Amino acid sequence: MYFELAWRNIWRNSRRTLVIITAVVIGVWSMVFLGAFSRGMLNNMLENGKSVLIGDIQIHHKNYREDPSIDKSMEQAEIIRHLLKNNLSKNTLWTERIKVSAYVSNARHSTGVTLVGIDPVKEKEISFLGKSIVNGNYLEPNDKRGVLVGKALLEKFDTKIGKKLILMTRSKSGKVVSKAFRIRGVFKAQMESTEKSYLFITMHGARNLLNIEEGISEISIKIFDDQNVDIVAKMLKNNIDEKLYSVETWKDLLPMLEAYVRIFDGFMYIWYVVVFIAMGFGIVNTSLMAVFERVREFGLLRALGMKPWRVIASVLTESTFTLTVGIVAGNCLGIISVFLLKENGLDLALFGKGAEFFGMSRIIYPVLTLTDVISVNSVIFFLGIIVSLYPAIRAAQITPVEAMRE
Amino acid sequence: MNIVNAQNIKKSYFQGKMQVHALRGMSVLVDQSEFMALAGPSGSGKTTMLNIIGGIDSPDSGTIVVDNNDYADMKQSQLADLRLKKIGFVFQAYNLIPVLSAQENVEYIMLLQGVAASERKEKAIAILDDVGLEGKYNRRPSELSGGQQQRVAVARAIVSNPAIVLADEPTANLDSKTGESLLDMMKKMNQEKNVTFIFSTHDNMVMDYAKRIVKLKDGQIEEDIVKEK
Amino acid sequence: MSTDIKMALRNLFRSPVRTMLTLSAIAFASLILVFMLSFQLGSYEAMVNSSVKIHTGHFQVQAKGYNEKQNMRFAISLPNDIAEKLDKIKKIQAYTFRANGFSLVSSKNRTRGILVTGIDPEREAWVSTIKTLVRKGEYLDAKDRDKALIGSLLAKHLKVSVNDELTILGQGKDGSIAAGVVTIKGIFSSGIDEFDRASIQIPLNYFNDVFYMQGSVHEIVCTAESLYDVKKITQELADDLQKDQKGRDIVVLDWKELVPGLVQGIKLDLVSAIIFYIILIVVVAFSILNTFLMAILERTKEFGVMLALGVKPSRLLKLVLMESAFMTLAGVVIGGGAGALLTLWFMTHGINLAGASEILKEYGMSGVVYPKLSLISALAGPGAVLLITLCAALYPALKVKKLVPAVAIKSA
Repeated sequence: MYFELAWRNIWRNSRRTLVIITAVVIGVWSMVFLGAFSRGMLNNMLENGKSVLIGDIQIHHKNYREDPSIDKSMEQAEIIRHLLKNNLSKNTLWTERIKVSAYVSNARHSTGVTLVGIDPVKEKEISFLGKSIVNGNYLEPNDKRGVLVGKALLEKFDTKIGKKLILMTRSKSGKVVSKAFRIRGVFKAQMESTEKSYLFITMHGARNLLNIEEGISEISIKIFDDQNVDIVAKMLKNNIDEKLYSVETWKDLLPMLEAYVRIFDGFMYIWYVVVFIAMGFGIVNTSLMAVFERVREFGLLRALGMKPWRVIASVLTESTFTLTVGIVAGNCLGIISVFLLKENGLDLALFGKGAEFFGMSRIIYPVLTLTDVISVNSVIFFLGIIVSLYPAIRAAQITPVEAMRE
Repeated sequence: MNIVNAQNIKKSYFQGKMQVHALRGMSVLVDQSEFMALAGPSGSGKTTMLNIIGGIDSPDSGTIVVDNNDYADMKQSQLADLRLKKIGFVFQAYNLIPVLSAQENVEYIMLLQGVAASERKEKAIAILDDVGLEGKYNRRPSELSGGQQQRVAVARAIVSNPAIVLADEPTANLDSKTGESLLDMMKKMNQEKNVTFIFSTHDNMVMDYAKRIVKLKDGQIEEDIVKEK
Repeated sequence: MSTDIKMALRNLFRSPVRTMLTLSAIAFASLILVFMLSFQLGSYEAMVNSSVKIHTGHFQVQAKGYNEKQNMRFAISLPNDIAEKLDKIKKIQAYTFRANGFSLVSSKNRTRGILVTGIDPEREAWVSTIKTLVRKGEYLDAKDRDKALIGSLLAKHLKVSVNDELTILGQGKDGSIAAGVVTIKGIFSSGIDEFDRASIQIPLNYFNDVFYMQGSVHEIVCTAESLYDVKKITQELADDLQKDQKGRDIVVLDWKELVPGLVQGIKLDLVSAIIFYIILIVVVAFSILNTFLMAILERTKEFGVMLALGVKPSRLLKLVLMESAFMTLAGVVIGGGAGALLTLWFMTHGINLAGASEILKEYGMSGVVYPKLSLISALAGPGAVLLITLCAALYPALKVKKLVPAVAIKSA
């Protein structure tokens, strides 16, 4: 009865109620949809950042990050391998790499790159490389002279599959070493800069070039299921000699992306609040109009003995209904628009280079997370109730005498 | 000469789901400078007829000619223009513009007619004095009593010398003394300036003042009484 | 007319709370838009400036294809001929020659593959800010030969400081091995990690010898008196300099072509922000639509009376729209003004985005961002708010034209 009364009251002026509901719907829709879209952009940046070579967790020689040279490689890799085998869950993948800065040239061109020696079998499952060969073949594990080249670098060097490239780097003893490698395959990455700055050879090839027997530069770990990166990292840290090795998550390795995620969350909250304020004025105003129109009615109810808090409660119930209708409809619309775009994504072709500038792919898929949806809805709902208090209190202040004067 | 010539006016409207036949083929001729009352119980169609004469409502069928203007040929804005120049309205509920003062309410009509500011002011004050509102020029409607508001409304209706004043139950919300003085005032206008007055009313006092009474019943004329002079 | 204005204003004051709330919503949106747009434009300008001042200049003259392939052999063989032409154009403020080659740069026990740039120390200082960025040691002077300036992060990686030696090993323009030894004279820090991590600059004449450039250069970097002159100058130059003496095609590239990612990145950021802004304005418009609607619905009777008095429907429409316009205008002016004041305050004090400094550095900005109030940023937002809210006001106002006076007068 009580709820039915409130429900009927909000439809007494259906046009006005529809207008304010429309405002709420647009607000909620924009928060859900644009939120999902921005989240998609962000996740895309993150995945791009992580998939290039980072993974979720990496283990290095303690000083490798400061000085990414062959000197700072992990010599006793066997100990770590053992540790990983015993401590990581079955679904967790990891691979070893040798990673050094090198200089590549052919008869006409030369440039600086990061040379990565990989375990082709394991690498395939962890980084982007496995799915990215567009021409030629992927590396065989025992291939000592093969190299995978990015499409952009291949074009820049005016070369093709089967041709040679000279790789030059510094060995452990400080001597400049160089060897010729043959191009086996071409990879394409999300970003041109990745194609230009990485070359991949096998672990054997790298050891052969650098004249070393043992030693790896990094171990990259990729976590599946819903394991928490920070918890896994902490467990590894506890079991590893921290005087020799460092265990870092992608957040440590890509501080910029980590900062981006933080700023993004902050920005989305600001955006929610800004849109809410815009709606809030309308909600208060509409609710206030409804109250002022019914001064006589409230006066009468008071005269009949209704307590002020009941008046507040009834006005708040009306606001809650209006808000709820708007929120539900806005969420539905938002979720529908996300699903419509889920299939094909949104192509940022117009801003291709711009997207790359921010480390994003050209096609963005919206990502709807439960946390985002919950925060949108709670922000609107709670702030909505808070601002509705004002008209409700005004209604409660109406006295029978005042009402009769109307 | 006829100032109003209404022939076979029919008008029906819906009240909720019920169709109400307000006028069922009413014809009436009104001469210049008449002082006439449309009388009858509520629902007999007198207000509807008044609205149709004033051009603020349109008949379903029939012809209406006011001061040689056939309403059938006129657009909304032309009708508005005709009302502005030839017709004055006085309503039962006064209906002054709430944000304007007494003087401004009277001046507003002249403003629309394009009368110069100084002349407007002079005329408005003169007519407010005439209707007995000396010194209350700057009061807003909410600061005036019902009788005073209706005086402003009458002043507003006659200030620009219209051909007809249409008054819809002008005395209904007033006490008899105030009503009487208002009627005296209107009668004086009628006699001195030859302004035609058409009332809709069921107030006996108005009918006493009227020189012609057209009694309506169920949207048709029941009786048309012209009093002897 | 003055009566119409008076009536509109008095009508607005009939429900002061409603008017205030509506006005606040409009003012709020205007304020946010002025501030945010100024903030964005300010950061874009900082990004562009840092890029322009540190490396690209306003525009460059290059051999065709060099910008895409960075191939050493795509060089301008007789740069002085082009320089003569540049000298004749008044609006060009300064220019300098540069040549680049990828090399393996080694210190005693570290090596990195990076781009070595040959610069003309004197002229470079007129074009870029590099001279002012030297933090340790000194900038190069005209007589220097085997000296180098390196970025602070590179110095850290190579574990070197001023007066240490570096070996450069690369490929000359003719494909032969290019090798040289340079002494570090200065270390610079631009704040842009990318630049500080991967650049080394040596005198152009020394570069010329080491890399067998035979007097050719890769880039002629120019700055114009103002960014606005760039378009005109580049067009003029492009017509003039189609080929050099050896018949190689010459192109003139402005900063937008040199760093297309930056321009498109700005566009992307701006477009997505505009989508957000439009949605904000639409939400505001719906939020205040009720005010406009109520202002009309609750006065139906009054409008009926006015029509009966002989007010033309078009005039009534004007009166109603004027009320909405006053309210919207007041909101926009108050909000826009407050937004402008806020922006002006931050223009002098800066906005400290300590949490975002990692990101900002990547795009060439420091941790403090200065918004920039311009005619566009001050007017675009409030203008859009004005337009969209007036459209919202139009819908209820048009209802006035459809009123039947007799019916309207009867309504409560």
